[in-house]
Amino acid sequence: MNTADAASPNTLGPFEISQLMLTATANGGSAASGTLVGASDHNLLGGRIALVCNPGDELSRTGALGSTRLNEAGFAELMTAIGDKRAKDGIRTLEVNNEKFEFYVEIRRPIRELVVVGAGHVAQPMAHIGALLGYQVTVLDDRPDFATRERFPDAQRLVRTDFTDPFAEVTLHERSYLILVTRGHKYDYECLIRALRTNPRPAYIGMIGSRRRVRATYLQLLEEGIDRELLASIHAPVGLDIGAETPEEIAVSVAAELIMLDRGGIGSSLRDLERVTSRFFRDPNLSQGENEGGRHEGQFNETDT
Amino acid sequence: MTYEDDKTLAEALKTAREEGRVCALATIVGTRGSTPRKVGARMLVDPKEGLTGTIGGGCGEAEVIESAYRVLKTGFAERVRVDLTEDFTTWSPAVCGGVMDVFVEPVEVQTGDQEQLSKESRTRAPNR
Repeated sequence: MNTADAASPNTLGPFEISQLMLTATANGGSAASGTLVGASDHNLLGGRIALVCNPGDELSRTGALGSTRLNEAGFAELMTAIGDKRAKDGIRTLEVNNEKFEFYVEIRRPIRELVVVGAGHVAQPMAHIGALLGYQVTVLDDRPDFATRERFPDAQRLVRTDFTDPFAEVTLHERSYLILVTRGHKYDYECLIRALRTNPRPAYIGMIGSRRRVRATYLQLLEEGIDRELLASIHAPVGLDIGAETPEEIAVSVAAELIMLDRGGIGSSLRDLERVTSRFFRDPNLSQGENEGGRHEGQFNETDT
Repeated sequence: MTYEDDKTLAEALKTAREEGRVCALATIVGTRGSTPRKVGARMLVDPKEGLTGTIGGGCGEAEVIESAYRVLKTGFAERVRVDLTEDFTTWSPAVCGGVMDVFVEPVEVQTGDQEQLSKESRTRAPNR
């Protein structure tokens, strides 16, 4: 073998894959990679391929697993994964020439962007927690001394804007999460109506405010001809009810709502959902019939895991 | 894994490569029941820099690290099944309640490592 192989796509390892996937998602594309993690021929283990789908739907393939048929089966699986928005990372089975291979598939979507409008006291912890959750964070304000690097050390972008045309420099898309926390409801309103009229619309629009303020804003939006259904899609007041009061607590509440929507949670205490005490332990103060579960006095069952 | 996790891992891989070190990469490829981390979680074992990322801390990580050192020695990937269903009263850290499948593979240094290279080319190159 010679050194020319070093540049060959057949030597696609974890390092090359991670670079490829990062570049693709940072450029607004999707990527799927597949690794052989189960095969009777141990030499095939760790073989990798990747499929990158760039924003213009242009596809590129890299790497090889082994035989042509195995490669074809692998790429077909990646194609399915990348096209299915609900596809999850995990093992798929490839069947080639009556032999089964375990093929671990991983999918990366374009990264999500958290657009925080207003650079005040709620925006600071909001940008921080957004970055912590893996969002690319953009902070907008019309005041140059607020959207500063010192105040927002982990924001990706700080944009000075005019609230009459707030998104002139920031393109909103299906993976934008918009948080409206400007210093005045007039600005929130102006940004909100802009955001509702963009196409494609952001994945999430949240606006801070009391019930009264939200109601007044909606009233005005209805008068402007925004339909009711669209209003219902706005998250206002923003966040999950955890009794948040301080800016930091509000940021946690908003972050909790974002995670809940993303992962499909319901925002209750796990304690209340799991009810471990009442389900698995008898209450000595209740009669037999009143006890809910308590079937084995806390003994574990096969199904309890 | 989030974009940031991916970036952290990529940086650790890059450092190891630049300094010419072979590392072992552990990936959770399957889980059943309750496990501390889910499919896709990764941990890099760099013999000099130590660990980057986690696949669940105390719960089973030690077993995977052991496998990682084996992989570094042999150069062959392994599948490890970590059983976290031990009885609670054993006070073992492995009581989360689930089982996870971890793929542990060597991350080879490609430049100037002809032996590794030719091995890879033999097994993965043909038929393109």
